[in-house]
Amino acid sequence: MTVTVELTYDMAKLLGTRAIPLEGPRTVGEALRAARDRFGDQGAAYDRMAEVAAVAVNGVLVAHRREGVRLADGDRVTFVKTAAGG
Amino acid sequence: MIKGFAGRVLELDLGARTFAFKPLDEAIARLYLGGKGYGTRLLYDLTQPGIDPLGPENPLIFATGPLNGSLAPQSNRFAVVCKSPLTGGIGSSACGGSFAFGLKKAGIDVVVVQGRSELPVRVEIDGDADAVRFLDASELWGLGTEATQKALGKGMHHAVIGPAGENKVLYAGIVSDARIAGRCGVGAVMGSKGLKALSAQGTRKLEMEDEAGFKKYTQWVRQVFKGHPVLGEKLRRFGTLGIVNTTNGRNMLPTRNFQAGHHPDAMGLSGEYLEDHGLVGVRSSCLHCPVACGREVEVPGAGRVKGPEYETAGMMGTNLGITDLALVNRWNWMADDLGLDTISLGVTLGFAMELQERGMLATGLAFGNPEGVAEMIDAIAHRRGLGDELAEGTRRMSRKFGGKEFAMHVKGLELSAYDPRGSFAQGVEYATTNRGGCHVQGASMYFESTGPLTINPQNLKLKAEIPVVQQNLACAVNSMVLCVFTTYGLVPRHVHALKPGGWMHRLARVLFENSGPAYRLIMGAKLFQATWLDTWLSRVTGMRFTPGHLQEIGARIFNLERMYNLREGLTGADDTLPDRILNEPLFKHMTSGHPLAELLPRYYEIRGWDAHGVPLPRTLKRLKVRV
Ligand code: SF4
Repeated sequence: MTVTVELTYDMAKLLGTRAIPLEGPRTVGEALRAARDRFGDQGAAYDRMAEVAAVAVNGVLVAHRREGVRLADGDRVTFVKTAAGG
Repeated sequence: MIKGFAGRVLELDLGARTFAFKPLDEAIARLYLGGKGYGTRLLYDLTQPGIDPLGPENPLIFATGPLNGSLAPQSNRFAVVCKSPLTGGIGSSACGGSFAFGLKKAGIDVVVVQGRSELPVRVEIDGDADAVRFLDASELWGLGTEATQKALGKGMHHAVIGPAGENKVLYAGIVSDARIAGRCGVGAVMGSKGLKALSAQGTRKLEMEDEAGFKKYTQWVRQVFKGHPVLGEKLRRFGTLGIVNTTNGRNMLPTRNFQAGHHPDAMGLSGEYLEDHGLVGVRSSCLHCPVACGREVEVPGAGRVKGPEYETAGMMGTNLGITDLALVNRWNWMADDLGLDTISLGVTLGFAMELQERGMLATGLAFGNPEGVAEMIDAIAHRRGLGDELAEGTRRMSRKFGGKEFAMHVKGLELSAYDPRGSFAQGVEYATTNRGGCHVQGASMYFESTGPLTINPQNLKLKAEIPVVQQNLACAVNSMVLCVFTTYGLVPRHVHALKPGGWMHRLARVLFENSGPAYRLIMGAKLFQATWLDTWLSRVTGMRFTPGHLQEIGARIFNLERMYNLREGLTGADDTLPDRILNEPLFKHMTSGHPLAELLPRYYEIRGWDAHGVPLPRTLKRLKVRV
């Protein structure tokens, strides 16, 4: 099973990639932990960036980081920050 | 005269080349303020039903409000009102730049342009001398908006059209400095009158009821703006492009003519990306605005120009399958210079691409392929070849070539870059907004999908209430006239500080989502001044305003617009969304599209309208709407 974790701009800049394809995570929690692992010793920076973002699965906000939410093949887990535009 | 108003309306007859200064109608100003409200009242009263929007009998109304000329932040805006050639209903659009300031300094609140000039004409208003000059504009005809303003010089403040307006492209806009009144085809109406430019200047002082109090209070508001996470930080730092990653993450960034809501490479169009790649400057682009949400980019051959807004990145970017910011920068600059609305343009190009994809019309345009796009933009503005068809907008094209089910407009006005299948209240707002499918007539999506405290955007809770409150507020703001971005500042700083995963955030969200009628009651309360909007108005005019008064004035304007549309033959059946939005699921969990049918009756009920969307007599009476 493949899922993709899409990063915030700051995370993407730090890691050098916009999205992390992952094999195997079955829940949001597992996917986020696997994504954090990719940051290696930058984990603390990742945590700071993750803290100010919500998480969406396929565009639907997972109300407040429900780590147990189950994932299906092809799902997209995205960090979403608030913004205003027009 | 009420303070804050100059007290004069300038009537221009371009056919006879005559002008007259008339007193502003104080009774109208008390009920409708200025800007869009005053303009709509005038349009209703001055015209017969069924007029040709591109005929001389369609007045083009430029209107400022009581806050213009006051130096309040975000107050250099004017409204343009007329019958829309694109929708056949109410046409209204707002614009920044500096023209509003020039007009108010000339001692004029409203300009009503009537008739038609056989030869290209421009008009100069010297407010100090009370002089109006009708000047030959033949040499300017054909020039872009940038060259036109350059030729007119810096002595006055201008509102001009480009080739698109001259050629009556149905979504041509009116440009002041680097800002555009883009929506509804107001530029085509100006072009139909042969009017290339309207310029104004003067040194008159705006009279305020409590000038010292206003100044002191405004200093405080400026500090609030400075420390505000949106007005002082995000918009300043990233411009409106700062929202790209948010809408993309929430699956509501239109992609390939709304066939998807997410593009894996959309980050390349974001404000964050621009900051790191190719941002050459930040500019306010609206005189005296401390927010400075405009970006400057370098376009080869054009130099430093104003960069794209979020809507442009959405509609001329992902909506066309494009994520190359340099291309969007170039197309945006072309559209601005030609005087085209990039929202309608992007949707119409996307529609043409889908027609090609389905083999319904050979347009030579394909999603994800920039080839032919720049040429088509130019062809549209000059109505050359197939460009002449695209110049008519999405609705008319779908009538001629088919594809109604994926023609992305409401009432003929192309949708903005928030897919309402991810934002149900925004969908209700699109469907019911009188000028058609537009986001800045309420911006409901801020409370469900993009802002700091968003409710679940895909259930029915509050989805009829939010648009009513937001549409009313936007009508009032557009009648002061302020930039609607000011409303982002009304959500206090500490709400932005709530951690998305925290219990406080969860609690606030649950309370908000379940607030039901209490929400409308609170927003409609006339107890005390609570925001800078009502406080500024009170200090400038001397009249008493509260958030509840703004809701009432906004509702009055909204209902008058509604009555105008009904008079022009629109009905409740026009309060709808494109078939694609109603029927095609966009999210994995969806089985259909937007549940408009479930929400519309509640919306009508809150509005005080009957089941067909017609305002009840008691509603009109309560709001003092004379029809
Ligand atoms: S916030 Fe932006 S659009 Fe609004 S008035 Fe200021 S510069 Fe203009």
